[in-house]
Amino acid sequence: MSLENKVLGLLNEALIVYRDSPRATSWLRNQLVRFGEPVRIAVAGSTRIGKSTVVNALLGEEFTPGRGFTWYRDGVRARATAFTPSGPQEVPVVRRDGRAHVEMGMWDQVDRVIVDWPTRALRDATIIDTPPTATSDQVYREADAVLYLMRHLQDVDLKYLQAAHDNPIARSSPINTVVVLAKADEIGAGRIDALSSTKQIARRYRREARVQPLCQNVVAVAGLIAVAARTMRPEEFTALAALAALPRAELEDHLLSADRFVGGDFPVVMDPSVRQALLERYGIFGVRLTATLIRQGFDTQVKLVTQLVQRSGLGELRDSIGQYFTERREVLKARSALLALDVVLRAEPKPAARKIVMDLERIVASAHDVRELRLLAALQCGRTRLPGALETEASRIVGGLGTAVQARLGLEYEADETEQRYLVADLLARWREQAANPVLDQDQRRAATVVVRSCEGMLSGLG
Amino acid sequence: MAAPWLDVLDETIGACTTHNRPDLAERLREKRARQLDPKLRVLVIGEAKQGKSQLVNALVNAPVCAVGDDITTTVPTFVQHAETPSAALVRNPVARRAITDNPTERVPVALDQLAKEVSAGYSGEVVRAEVGIPRALLTSGLVLIDTPGVGDLRSAHTASTFAALMQADAVLLVSDATSELTATELELLKQVITNCPNVTVVLTKTDICPQWRRVLETNQAQLARAGVSAKVFAVSSALRLRAAQTGDKVLNAESGFPDLLACVQRDIVSAADQLARRVVAVSAASAIQQLVAPLKQELTVQNTKRTEDTIGALHEAQRRVDELRRRSARWQTVLADEMADLVSDIEFDLRDRTRKILREVDKTFDEADPAKGWDSFEQWLEDNLTEAGAKNFAWLLDRSEWVAEKVAKSFPVYREDLLPGSIFPEDVLERISAIERPNIEKFTVSQKLFTGLRGSYGGVLMFGLVTSLAGMPLINVVSIGAGALFGGKSIKDEGDARLKRRQAAAKNAAQRHVDDFFIKFSKDCRDAARHVQRSLRNHFSTLAEELQETLLESARSARRAVQDDASKRERRTIEVRHDLDKLVELYKRVQVLGGSQVALGISA
Ligand SMILES: Nc1nc2c(ncn2[C@@H]2O[C@H](COP(=O)(O)OP(=O)(O)O)[C@@H](O)[C@H]2O)c(=O)[nH]1
Ligand SMILES: Nc1nc2c(ncn2[C@@H]2O[C@H](COP(=O)(O)OP(=O)(O)O)[C@@H](O)[C@H]2O)c(=O)[nH]1
Ligand SMILES: [Mg+2]
Ligand SMILES: [Mg+2]
Repeated sequence: MSLENKVLGLLNEALIVYRDSPRATSWLRNQLVRFGEPVRIAVAGSTRIGKSTVVNALLGEEFTPGRGFTWYRDGVRARATAFTPSGPQEVPVVRRDGRAHVEMGMWDQVDRVIVDWPTRALRDATIIDTPPTATSDQVYREADAVLYLMRHLQDVDLKYLQAAHDNPIARSSPINTVVVLAKADEIGAGRIDALSSTKQIARRYRREARVQPLCQNVVAVAGLIAVAARTMRPEEFTALAALAALPRAELEDHLLSADRFVGGDFPVVMDPSVRQALLERYGIFGVRLTATLIRQGFDTQVKLVTQLVQRSGLGELRDSIGQYFTERREVLKARSALLALDVVLRAEPKPAARKIVMDLERIVASAHDVRELRLLAALQCGRTRLPGALETEASRIVGGLGTAVQARLGLEYEADETEQRYLVADLLARWREQAANPVLDQDQRRAATVVVRSCEGMLSGLG
Repeated sequence: MAAPWLDVLDETIGACTTHNRPDLAERLREKRARQLDPKLRVLVIGEAKQGKSQLVNALVNAPVCAVGDDITTTVPTFVQHAETPSAALVRNPVARRAITDNPTERVPVALDQLAKEVSAGYSGEVVRAEVGIPRALLTSGLVLIDTPGVGDLRSAHTASTFAALMQADAVLLVSDATSELTATELELLKQVITNCPNVTVVLTKTDICPQWRRVLETNQAQLARAGVSAKVFAVSSALRLRAAQTGDKVLNAESGFPDLLACVQRDIVSAADQLARRVVAVSAASAIQQLVAPLKQELTVQNTKRTEDTIGALHEAQRRVDELRRRSARWQTVLADEMADLVSDIEFDLRDRTRKILREVDKTFDEADPAKGWDSFEQWLEDNLTEAGAKNFAWLLDRSEWVAEKVAKSFPVYREDLLPGSIFPEDVLERISAIERPNIEKFTVSQKLFTGLRGSYGGVLMFGLVTSLAGMPLINVVSIGAGALFGGKSIKDEGDARLKRRQAAAKNAAQRHVDDFFIKFSKDCRDAARHVQRSLRNHFSTLAEELQETLLESARSARRAVQDDASKRERRTIEVRHDLDKLVELYKRVQVLGGSQVALGISA
């Protein structure tokens, strides 16, 4: 039975056991509903770390940030619901000056808003922008997965992430967090190589002993650049191109500081307000980078946008979200449901629930999907290494390229079931050998065991 | 040009020699040497990657400190004046083991290699880097100290920053303009101020932050709200360094550095000169008072015509010498008794604290299974021991201060410099910092390998100590019990013998570790107490000897007065009056120097 079904079964059993308690019943019903929804991904981190900007980058839309929790979910038309003290209220979403606003009106003190927004980015995920006052607990309860934004690892960051794993179930499946080094351009001090420098730092954190057990991946993202690129306006491109046309040394002199860029005696006729707007949208680094890229030949808006999106780290962030979150919807949902169930079992313990407690433990202890995810992250971050071609193969089998059998086998054509079964059997035999290979160390053999288990899973799925 | 205080001090030393007091002269000479080497330490402090190292580089216009996007600075770097540029690493190869006499060695390196050596080759042995370069800014004795970032509490980096804070004369707190001061930065600032009130906040990276003016205003408002009166300067090190390369005066002005440098000159360098004068004034005044006393005595005796009065004065002088001897015995007893009490109280306190921890451990493992949550348990134990050690040591220091005051009270006379400037010998902390990382033996429980406490234990402990000294509540008291770490009730415990064995093994391991900690730590505390006692004894003995010498000199002059014939006495009286006048004159200059209002008491 799949993890999903096991957990669903357990939730339903609990509904029966707790049918006398209205509180537990409504809690469990909510969990059942949540189980069927897209993955909820919260964007968290300290004040002004760039949360709303990263959310906008993912949406491809410049939303004016709100005050409290803002949920963005897929919908047929743009609309928003404010959760006011006197019940839900529909509020309008409007576009003005190329930006999207939720017109809160008299409800601007409300601490929860749900925005329906038709965009492909929300097809598989609901994205939650969080207020700086939200605690680790609140955020992790609300969401199935978290993007945690930070600059350099500080004690407060560690505390936040550790608090999220301060529960036996959460600890045994630390698969729902991706750390983001936000404002990558600032970490790289605005130098032209800032983004690649920050990517290198992200790589180092992936291997750091304190960070590893708390997240699946660490990626560097320059949210500001990503948003600006995804929402670039034609007149902006014209202005940027005009800058790039200036003699290099002369432009450089006026890009030495933000003050200089908007200052007087500028070498080309360009209204200060235009420069001010560029500075706000792209930052001084963004202006430096676009000028350089245009000179290097990315001289149409389309080419420039593609380059910027790629360099901003948004691509990598989306890949991580796909690989660890949306592709793994079932296991993340199951995890959230188990955590929620655990709350009921603790809050209202009763003898009749003993079997559920034991089943819960068994699922937590044996959930293979969780192990797959951890192994995948370990292989991709380089903390587990396997000799030669085994490494890519292992990462593929545990679902690195997708969780369908076709993807796990790395097939580029439609193979029929018989052929697939034949291929899996072959893999299974080879990996059983690896699992007992004395040349490998304990960690590597354990990794091989997980791969074996994935092969067995495929085989039984093929019937 | 010699500082004005130097002339006065040298004249006072001359007077001491003339008046036959080589002991006083010697003491003043020591003070003179210390003031002539006025290491004015300016600590550059802040969270990681705020631009501290780059700020130091920009202040001296040279790439002396390692700068990078990732964590770079690992040890404090001392940048000071030298005729020819030079650099060295100071290493302490045994820092992790020996507690006593750990000699450091200085290894010269090429200046342009230093940055690389510090950031790359950090093996835990390098304790600091030193750079000498010829710069006008530094000629006044200014030492700029670049430090590793604060905020990563577990790291040994933070520990060394706080160790350096203990010796700072002024602090530049660096925060970049990409965001306002955070709660942690404000907290840091407040704590730093209690330790070193001369703090200036520097807002860096204005070149890449379009909104730096808004951040500056917000920060100023925040400081005002927190009741902190520190000035804030906005600068761009990047612009300053570039301006230096191209000789661009306009750009240098845009960098904001001219204002910052003016502030350093005014609020740090000049302010330190004031402080030096005050120290000199107090010592010189005290010496002159002692020169004056015998002369006054002699004059009084000579003025009295009758021999029996003279003889009475002689007896009086003798009596006071005896009295001093008697009371010297008293302060020595007070010191010895109090320190003995202190040592036993401190040890009792530590035992009490560790017992409480062990009781909690036992309670926990009566129920919980050590196979689950052991990692957090280790952390819990480490935090609690650190906390216990920190509290205990802080108490030791408080008590020592109190003992010094008590001894001073039982001292025969009052003097302004009665209490030593610092109760604690400079190396008291270094000794403690060298505590070895405890060695929990690896032990196996149900195939799970439990390793000993991870991380640099010494660093953590050191940090705890230093911060609690500075009154820093940064280490959170671990208020939840260890039991909460093991997940509570919903996880069913296996009730078999294996579990019991595991629990016993865990209790044992914890017990051994705590005992180990107790033995090492209490020994260090005893050593520290002994050290404090010795330095207090030396301090007060020196004072007592001086006093005795002064009284004896009074007795001698009284005797001289009795023996001399009338004409000789006449001449002597004139001489003494003349000497006294000169001393009074000198004393007045001393007072002007320090702005002090101590009356000399010779108007009679
Ligand atoms: N230079 C730079 N600035 C950024 C970036 N992301 C956000 N910001 C700026 O940082 C400020 C705070 O961003 P915001 O997304 O509102 O942060 P939040 O409070 O965490 O939601 C805004 O002024 C943004 O323009 C970035 O990647 N680079
Ligand atoms: N643009 C700019 N970057 C700076 C400035 N000061 C420091 N940086 C950069 O900020 C990063 C961290 O600087 P560093 O001095 O190593 O910080 P520390 O950790 O506080 O010592 C480096 O990449 C520096 O180049 C500045 O004034 N302007
Ligand atoms: Mg926001
Ligand atoms: Mg540094």
